Amino acid sequence: MNKNYLILTILALILGFGILFMPDIKHNNEIKPEKLLLMVDEPSRFLSSDVITDRLVKKDPALVLIDVRSAAEFKTFAIPGSINIPLDSLLETSSLEIMGTKDLDKVFYSNADVAADQAWIICKRMGFETIYVMQGGLNNWFNTIVKAEKPADTEPIETVELYQFRKGASQYFYGNGDSTAGQSQQNTQKKTTILMKKEAGASSGGGC
Amino acid sequence: MKMNKRDGTFYINPYLGGILLGLVLFASYYITGRGLGASGAVKNTVVTAVHSVAPTHAEKSGYYSKFLSDDDSPMNNWLVFEVMGVVIGGFLSGIIYGRMKLKVEHSPKITDNKRLIAAAVGGILFGIGSQLARGCTSGAALSGMAVLSASGIITMLAIFGSAYFFSWIFKKLWI
Amino acid sequence: MTGPLIPMNIIPEAWNNVIALLIGIGFGFTLEASGFSSSRKIMGTFFGYDFVVLRVFFTAALTAMTGIIYFDFMGWMDASMLYINPFYVSPAIIGGLVMGAGFALGGFCPGTSFCGIAIGKIDAMVFAGGLFVGIFFFSEAYSLFESLYNSGNMGDALIFDMLGMSKAVFAFLLIMAAIGMFYGATFIEKLVKKVEY
Repeated sequence: MNKNYLILTILALILGFGILFMPDIKHNNEIKPEKLLLMVDEPSRFLSSDVITDRLVKKDPALVLIDVRSAAEFKTFAIPGSINIPLDSLLETSSLEIMGTKDLDKVFYSNADVAADQAWIICKRMGFETIYVMQGGLNNWFNTIVKAEKPADTEPIETVELYQFRKGASQYFYGNGDSTAGQSQQNTQKKTTILMKKEAGASSGGGC
Repeated sequence: MKMNKRDGTFYINPYLGGILLGLVLFASYYITGRGLGASGAVKNTVVTAVHSVAPTHAEKSGYYSKFLSDDDSPMNNWLVFEVMGVVIGGFLSGIIYGRMKLKVEHSPKITDNKRLIAAAVGGILFGIGSQLARGCTSGAALSGMAVLSASGIITMLAIFGSAYFFSWIFKKLWI
Repeated sequence: MTGPLIPMNIIPEAWNNVIALLIGIGFGFTLEASGFSSSRKIMGTFFGYDFVVLRVFFTAALTAMTGIIYFDFMGWMDASMLYINPFYVSPAIIGGLVMGAGFALGGFCPGTSFCGIAIGKIDAMVFAGGLFVGIFFFSEAYSLFESLYNSGNMGDALIFDMLGMSKAVFAFLLIMAAIGMFYGATFIEKLVKKVEY
């Protein structure tokens, strides 16, 4: 009996030492392709430019609008209140910290949908939640909000209200809807952006 | 240890039993991705019973409603089948080793009734505790230890620590 | 085959209940054969006359742990997909303390009481009846327990992360502690007067 216990003890010791000298195991926690396909198909990953504009005007602290175009393009023209994370620097620590903040809606946009979609897929594969794409990108935003067309008086009341909202938002961003005036305004807007980013970092609980 | 295996006094070597139980637990993790459990099955039965007697009450309650889903009854659950297996397995072992006998087991110093009252109170306490800790000795402590979860090891320490303390208070029930 | 098999869709979901039944049979058989259907044998651990619970419990947990770690290392199983009970600090501790008191009074835990029922132990039946009453009481009085039940959520916490150790070191120390405990238990058993049951 005692001899058997000795063998068991030695076996346990060998297994224990084996574990001790085992290299750390890394797990691949990326989402499976099938699951990702389902998520890509889900229309709720898009947010319309009106919804985002509304939240920007209301200074929603739970929204961060991310421009994934290059820094040069961002400087020339960008949606006021957005921050710039070029696609190629998406995986830097500072940007991952924003992505990992749980209670923050991260919305990507580029000129059209393509670059924003790429950013979305990369982040989704890394397992980040509450990330969205602004539908139609900057082009659509510019056409609907900044260059909002006055509807005819015969249009239904909803359309008129939507126009008034868009006009109001445009004035909120650019004064009288003059896009050259918008350039000077943009600098002050950038300051609030930086503040927002810090807030995001402070509340992040480790992220990924 | 007697060689006659059928008189009810034979038990397998505890380390052999432990390794077998460990292999069962490992198989459970390997096949289904989750550990063993027991109190969860009782909870599911309670939820199903309450839901069938008083459906609106169950849906309104903050606790039952956690375990109710629209499509399938909570009774149709992994743990319930597992516990049915436990009863069958125990029955088989009882037949093989000759331990099938209706009886109340207790210290010679106390009566049957005293033992049964203590068992009922113990069961009630165990039921409440297992819900608070989200699992019992098998679900939280044993399975949790196998995956080195914090809840498993802390719950295990709390159960054994408090059982050591209380068993000396209720010593008369046992020896 | 990479485990866990059912979450990986290697075995269809429909087999779940059949496998549950088979695993349950294995669980029940080993518990009963090791003597967990007898409350006085279980209680021996706390008075030092029979350490069967300690031996079976720790051998089982460490066997499964070692198996999982080695299978994970060999790439036969993805340990990150295994279910981890969320850790709520105070409910886990208070729940454990309450269960300990129930253990000392009842002499069973839920799993072993079902084993006891299978071989005709009346005290096990009463204990299991108590379980139903206790869980029913908890559910009905949930509003009283709610704030405690949800307090101190640490998520799917792992013990070695909380202690700031690596998994390997913690597992190794646990194995060493168990070996020490087994030898200690044998030593104590020799000192304590045998109890006939």
